[in-house]
Amino acid sequence: MGASAEGLDDGLSLRTEMRRARRRRLGQLALRLLNHRSFLIGFVILVFFALVAVFADLIAPYLPNKNNYRDVLTPPSAAFWFGTDAFGRDIASRVIHGTRVSLGIGFYVALLTGIFGTLLGTLACYVRWLDALVMRTLDGLMAFPGVLLAIALASALGPSAINSIIALTVAFMPRTARVVRAAVMVVQGTQYVEAAQAAGAGHGRIIFRYILANALSPVIVQLTYVFAVSVIAEAILSFLGVGPPPPAPSLGNIIADGRTYIQEAWWIAVFPGMAIALVVLGLNLIGDGLRDIIDPRQSSQH
Amino acid sequence: MTLFIVRRLLSAIPVLFVVSLMSFVIMWLVPGDITAVLGGADASPEEIERIREQVGLDRPIYERAIIWYSSLFHGDLGYSYLLDRPVVDAVLERLQVTLSLATLALVIATLVGVLLGVLAAVKHNTWLDQGSMIAALVGLSIPDFWFGIVLIILFGVTLGWLPTGGFVPITEDVLGWARSMTLPALTLAFTQMGVIARMTRSSMLDVLNQDFIRTARAKGMRAHTVVFKHALRNAVVPILTVVGVTTGVLLSGAVVIETVFSLPGVGRLIIGSIQRRDFPIIQGGLLVTASVFVFVNIIVDMLYGFFDPRVRDGR
Amino acid sequence: MGGDLVVAQSSNPPSLDAMTSSSGASRNITMNVYETLYGFNEKIEPMPILAETVEISDDGLKYRFPLRKGVLFHNGKEMTAKDVKASLERYRKVGATGSLLEPVESIDITGDYEVTLTMKRPTPTFLEAFCSPRAPAVIIPEEDGAAEVNKTSLVGTGPYKIVEFVPDSHVRLERFTDYSQDTRYDGRDGFGGKKTAYLDSATFRIIPEPGAAVAALQAGEIQILDQIPVPAARRLEDNPDIDLYENLQWAFNVFILNTNAPPTDNPKFREAVQVALNMEEIMGISTEGLFNLNPGWVYPGTTYDVGDLASAGYYNQADTARAQALLKEAGYNNEEFTILTDSNIPEHGRSAVVIAEQLKAAGINAVINQVDWPTALKLRMEDTGWNGWTLQMGIEPYLGPVAIMSTLTGKRPHFVKNDEQLDGLYQELITGQTSEERKATFAKMQTRLYETFSIIKVGDSGLMQASRSSVKNFKSFRFPRVYDIWLEN
Repeated sequence: MGASAEGLDDGLSLRTEMRRARRRRLGQLALRLLNHRSFLIGFVILVFFALVAVFADLIAPYLPNKNNYRDVLTPPSAAFWFGTDAFGRDIASRVIHGTRVSLGIGFYVALLTGIFGTLLGTLACYVRWLDALVMRTLDGLMAFPGVLLAIALASALGPSAINSIIALTVAFMPRTARVVRAAVMVVQGTQYVEAAQAAGAGHGRIIFRYILANALSPVIVQLTYVFAVSVIAEAILSFLGVGPPPPAPSLGNIIADGRTYIQEAWWIAVFPGMAIALVVLGLNLIGDGLRDIIDPRQSSQH
Repeated sequence: MTLFIVRRLLSAIPVLFVVSLMSFVIMWLVPGDITAVLGGADASPEEIERIREQVGLDRPIYERAIIWYSSLFHGDLGYSYLLDRPVVDAVLERLQVTLSLATLALVIATLVGVLLGVLAAVKHNTWLDQGSMIAALVGLSIPDFWFGIVLIILFGVTLGWLPTGGFVPITEDVLGWARSMTLPALTLAFTQMGVIARMTRSSMLDVLNQDFIRTARAKGMRAHTVVFKHALRNAVVPILTVVGVTTGVLLSGAVVIETVFSLPGVGRLIIGSIQRRDFPIIQGGLLVTASVFVFVNIIVDMLYGFFDPRVRDGR
Repeated sequence: MGGDLVVAQSSNPPSLDAMTSSSGASRNITMNVYETLYGFNEKIEPMPILAETVEISDDGLKYRFPLRKGVLFHNGKEMTAKDVKASLERYRKVGATGSLLEPVESIDITGDYEVTLTMKRPTPTFLEAFCSPRAPAVIIPEEDGAAEVNKTSLVGTGPYKIVEFVPDSHVRLERFTDYSQDTRYDGRDGFGGKKTAYLDSATFRIIPEPGAAVAALQAGEIQILDQIPVPAARRLEDNPDIDLYENLQWAFNVFILNTNAPPTDNPKFREAVQVALNMEEIMGISTEGLFNLNPGWVYPGTTYDVGDLASAGYYNQADTARAQALLKEAGYNNEEFTILTDSNIPEHGRSAVVIAEQLKAAGINAVINQVDWPTALKLRMEDTGWNGWTLQMGIEPYLGPVAIMSTLTGKRPHFVKNDEQLDGLYQELITGQTSEERKATFAKMQTRLYETFSIIKVGDSGLMQASRSSVKNFKSFRFPRVYDIWLEN
């Protein structure tokens, strides 16, 4: 009796100890990330655009879809910082609102890719008979060049923001699932998982507590890149007319609207192009930083 | 090695099955059909029904699936009603353009990317290193269709050095082919240069820090001999991986570049066929493109085996 | 003279089998290659092309077409009555507008160079319909008469023959050296006339990106640009190397309302939409400034122009207050108003965007459903699921009242549920004996359209074309005629 009570006590203090240690580790991690120059630059860029996206309604000087026949294709001026498009709409306001749409699409693709990739990757590892089926299907999906698959799917499903998200998720998810599966396989073989199994821990507990927690870092790094690629891919879908439909602005369809007038009205395509370049640059820098710090095996920095 | 190749080729079979299924499903998902394209805005319901019968669209979906698979089994991708030729021919004709484009872009991206990457690794932590990595990141971040239009205006209109678009077959005029391919290939290569440069740099850094290089250097071997003879050879496997992935990116990128530069490649064919609802071509085009990609990856795997014996013996 | 000319257009021709496709991208090319028995002249009146003339019997039941002799096909054979019969029989089966031969009972060979059409009933408008270039009833060799769609030898009688077709890239035409000129005329006239092929060859290049097409024109890689974005044209106005052609009677921009689906099944609601719209803004933005405001259903100054319509007080009102009052009267309760449009024809999409904004301002819950062209054509055949559809009608207004009204009457008019009064007037229109009678009927039909508001006329849209200044004698028409033009440096 005494022994078990002692054990319980030990367990409690151990758990608090672990929690403290984790908090300490997280603090250290944050510190190291903030000391990482390229991560910091990327982080600042992304936070800036995230704020623009969240507060788009407050920042934008005009309504993004407000036509103005008298002011079509006017160059940048005090009234219209980034000029106007063929509808007389304010490009600055459209870029600000477009950031919201494009970041939203990128974010949801990364999120859904993460969720489904993790689910399928773990499932494949855990349920042996499913492994071959799931992996061959994913291989088949991966055999399509990613963006091409997204284009074909988006055309088939019809142009909408949600269909763009679905198409891009289907295209990018298989690679994430593979990363998860590889990471889970490594963790599965380690002694502490075996120990936990021996101690009678349930499957769910093992998966969430041990396996996923340890497979998380390579996945997060990968999802940052998925986010970046999705922002560019949205532009490609819009260029081909299968992205988010008008009049709602996305960075991609503003460029798509402006590409016809690039010699007459360069400002329509240039400003959203710069916004995309910066967002993607920021995400890549963050990805590089995360990889250096939380997943040093794949690091490129020395 | 032979066993490895055979195994690798066999493993492609289920993959291609999934690919064929997916191609069929995408075709099936596309709303509307060829009748709308031929009949136009004011075709009557009777006219539409007549065209549907002629192209076999009145058949139920399972029947069309059976036809698709039974002919696929005989190596037949079907017949394009709109192009009046077998799908295989239509796709292969176009493959010339896309492969020209993707291969050239791959060569440019690999050459420039590896060069930049090696330079950055050798001059580690100098302005050259940082400069080339920033260039690589910028390349990664710019949408390629946008970049392509800028190049057209700069080199085609303002400077007048290169054609603004169109394709000249290499069999007709080699110089004309090279001129017509320069801008599209550069545009397509631009984004992938960055990916390859980054990968090259990091693998080179890994290798350069290993003992045998230090030993070689200590023995007084000249710097570029060390770099090219030892370091690059060892860094080649990760670089190959990226090149394999890059091929896929280039094949998808070709869709956009072919549209911007009005090149008649497979990408345009697939997009065009989706727009004109040429179902056999949608299926066949997707299947062929995916097969090319699978095939390239098999070659990449074989090259791994060539450069790194562990790959072929392991697993 | 001679030389090679490159024409650029944005879409790939879905087919070069002229009679099976009503697509403009096909017509641009095929009308240089094939010819019809009868076609329209510049003034849109029927003129004989391959036929010598037509003799119509007094009861209106027999159309006797004597044929021109000595007309050669591109394959070297002479055109005879057998070829004509085979072509028209094929047109009946596979022609995209094969129904225009519906009033024809039989097609008979009545001589080596003569064909007679026997009608089921007198149809005064038949000859005009028969001239329609929409999916033209072209004459092809007898051997191709049984060919399935798209499987002909692409042989015609026109001044140019097809030598190469690489889909999505180009179509190459070469001068047909044995072309039989129609010496009855002085020069080209509409779809017919005396056609002279000066150029050795003409290539139609498919350039989907308008920006790239303009760049190619500036670089001198193409000589004619079938459609140039208006802002680019304005920029190039002073460029001595570029000539511009404005064609202000190119198409009608219309907004079709689904009379079957709520809320547009309510005429009061449709009236609200009509008065809410600011046509000047819609046209100005969607055509990039190249337009005429016109409430009527014919081009001003043409035969059927009746002048003032019942449109006063309805057209180009931009009257939000009145629209709101009508909405209230209609009992509108913020139901969704879905505007169907497509991404392939930029004017459709741009109109939809402007219309949606205007309707929102009037308190209508407008949403845009932009899909690609084939999907749009499929969706608009559904009885519900859409409320408005933006459409540019190019060929119908060119063909005149019957062509327009045939799309608005019958079992399945553009606006879904037919209007019996309009259907009755349509019968009156096609059986009207004189053009005065038809004009009076047509005026009544236009008035009716301003009572039902099932289709809204937005305005007349122009077409801007451009060429290098080395191209001489080019004239804007329904298709770019590559004959009777030449290059000079």
